[in-house]
Amino acid sequence: MKLNLRPARTRSLRFRVTVAFALAGLVLSTVVALLAYTFSEHYLVRQRESSLQRQAYVDARVLRDDVQRTGDVAGGLASAERSVDSSVVLSYRGSWLGTSVAIGRDQVPDGLRRQVQSGQPARQRVQVNGDPWLFVGLPIPALGIDYYEAFKFDELERTLGVLRASLLGSAALATVLGGLIGIWASRRLARPVAQVAAASERVAAGDLETRLAPQSDRDLDRLVTSFNRMVDALGQRIDRDARFVSDVSHELRSPLTAVAAAAEVLRGRRDEIPERSRVALDLLVSEIDRLRLIVEDLLELSRADAGVDELELEPVEFGEQIRQTLGRGDESPEVRVDPALAGSPVLVDKRRLDRVLLNLFENARAHGGGVTAVAVRRRNGHVRIEVDDAGPGVSESDRSRIFDRFARGAASGQRRPASGSGLGLALVAEHVRIQGGRVWVEEPPSHQGARFVVELPWRPA
Amino acid sequence: MLYPATGAAAAAVIMEAMAVSILAVEDDDRIRTTMRMVLEDEGFDVSEAASAEAALETFEARTFDLVLVDIMLPGMSGFDLCRSLRRASDVPIVMVTARVDSHDVVAGLEAGADDYVRKPFAAKELSARIRALLRRASPREDDTGRAAAYRFGDVEVLPDAGVVRRDGREVAVTKTEFRLLCELARNTGIVLSRDQLLERVWGYDYFGDRRLVDSHVRRLRTKIEKDPSEPRHLLTMRGLGYKLQP
Repeated sequence: MKLNLRPARTRSLRFRVTVAFALAGLVLSTVVALLAYTFSEHYLVRQRESSLQRQAYVDARVLRDDVQRTGDVAGGLASAERSVDSSVVLSYRGSWLGTSVAIGRDQVPDGLRRQVQSGQPARQRVQVNGDPWLFVGLPIPALGIDYYEAFKFDELERTLGVLRASLLGSAALATVLGGLIGIWASRRLARPVAQVAAASERVAAGDLETRLAPQSDRDLDRLVTSFNRMVDALGQRIDRDARFVSDVSHELRSPLTAVAAAAEVLRGRRDEIPERSRVALDLLVSEIDRLRLIVEDLLELSRADAGVDELELEPVEFGEQIRQTLGRGDESPEVRVDPALAGSPVLVDKRRLDRVLLNLFENARAHGGGVTAVAVRRRNGHVRIEVDDAGPGVSESDRSRIFDRFARGAASGQRRPASGSGLGLALVAEHVRIQGGRVWVEEPPSHQGARFVVELPWRPA
Repeated sequence: MLYPATGAAAAAVIMEAMAVSILAVEDDDRIRTTMRMVLEDEGFDVSEAASAEAALETFEARTFDLVLVDIMLPGMSGFDLCRSLRRASDVPIVMVTARVDSHDVVAGLEAGADDYVRKPFAAKELSARIRALLRRASPREDDTGRAAAYRFGDVEVLPDAGVVRRDGREVAVTKTEFRLLCELARNTGIVLSRDQLLERVWGYDYFGDRRLVDSHVRRLRTKIEKDPSEPRHLLTMRGLGYKLQP
């Protein structure tokens, strides 16, 4: 069963959560800022307008009193003291008088003019040469004057500008804060996920003792519980399989012992047997030997799987060990030992190293035309053993499969008929793995034959 | 003493001359029968016993040069049989085991077995183990540089007489223990690795089980050391092997 997961095209969860929080921060703060700005602007403008209107009333009254006393409109207008930023325009008996060049009849908006002419005081905001102005229009019926006072409105604009800037800043800050909270939250959210991921990796690497600690959060706890249950089930299943292999091998032992001994008795009387039966007997004996080898290796493998035997590290001189193990065969290949390693023992599990070397040499003899060279080097904190053979080499596609149990390479058709247990290289891989090393097969630089490489951790004695 | 490699004809000659007697204790009659045939072909005089009880009875009636004991016996176990035999005799014992669990092998060795073979064994392997044990049980001719006696502390070893004394009193050791002690004494002060001891005492050229050495050393210590947990003569050299110190 495969879970229907979306393709991994989307960005990581943490990235998405962070962006979501930042966006939320941005939207919320923008809305709040807009509302705040609108209300403040409305309020400030209204307040400023009414205060300026009151100012205009005061100014108009001063002018009216002045003109009523002197009868001179132009003089009154010129002498009147007003706030710096205001200009007065008035229409008096069909002519227009003003206090500044910038503000004259043309600048007074038509709507305002009509309203004042009809005897209504009014005010209106207008842009003059790009600057904001407030025009307040007042009829002075006692003198027949339409009085307009224009106030520069930019002071408020500056205030509003500062308000806008600070609100914008706040929005930006809220966005950044949102993002930061997002990072923090996503980290918190991702931590259990990361823990599950790390635990899964450990399980995949073969550590079936891995369990996750219970969580207080209900959803997380469900994840943790089901994960632990899965690992339990996996472990039980592996145990069951391993036990089955082990039990089968054990059950095979007794009948195999009797059969092997019986065949041995027959072999001792080989000369008394007719020619035709002799062929059958030889076949029987050699196949029983192979069967015994398979059972032995299966048991050794299941022991390695079950992790029954502990590592027994002891100082071993690699060159000597290799020569000794090779000595049990017929060939005498070149053994090169890195001068840095010669005479200096390394801590390894000797029994396992022996098994590894013996099986590699056996493999070279069975499938590779014999061992041609063995080299030992030190490399990056590892001891590296290279075993070269003179065989047809191992094809690219077989290189990883060759260490599988009962692997039969594509090239095995050309090879000698199966003579070993079919488990030799699997055992090599197991014994190397248990010692924390690696094994692989590659093409030697000479492109002749195959090169099996074993890397073991370098532990100086 | 020489044994022919194989062959019924050669075996007949040996049996006439001086057959080595073996008691094979095995409850599975198919294995027992074939095992007897194989060993007889190798020139041994084989008696059978289907249970530990029967084996003890037979053993009381006559002596044997070697006993083969299957660990998984109905009734009295192979371990108990080993212990019973050891109480009365230093006869070499080879245990035959279907299990290779550390526990079984160590328990068998602690019970007094000298060596073990695993099922399914090859006939050649079994007879090789038996020969190695028998060779060891009898004086070796090729021993050179062997002193008349070794002394360390209050222990005295007399190789030719096959006697070990502590405080002047004779200590009962099995033949394998004796060989091991002699080998260590011959190299007093020199560290011998487990592999070296396996080769020299048990005749394994390779893949001997180091637990053989460890078990026998442990047993020897209980016999020659005052305090076996704090040995003063038979020392363990961590990661290297064992050494006998005067």
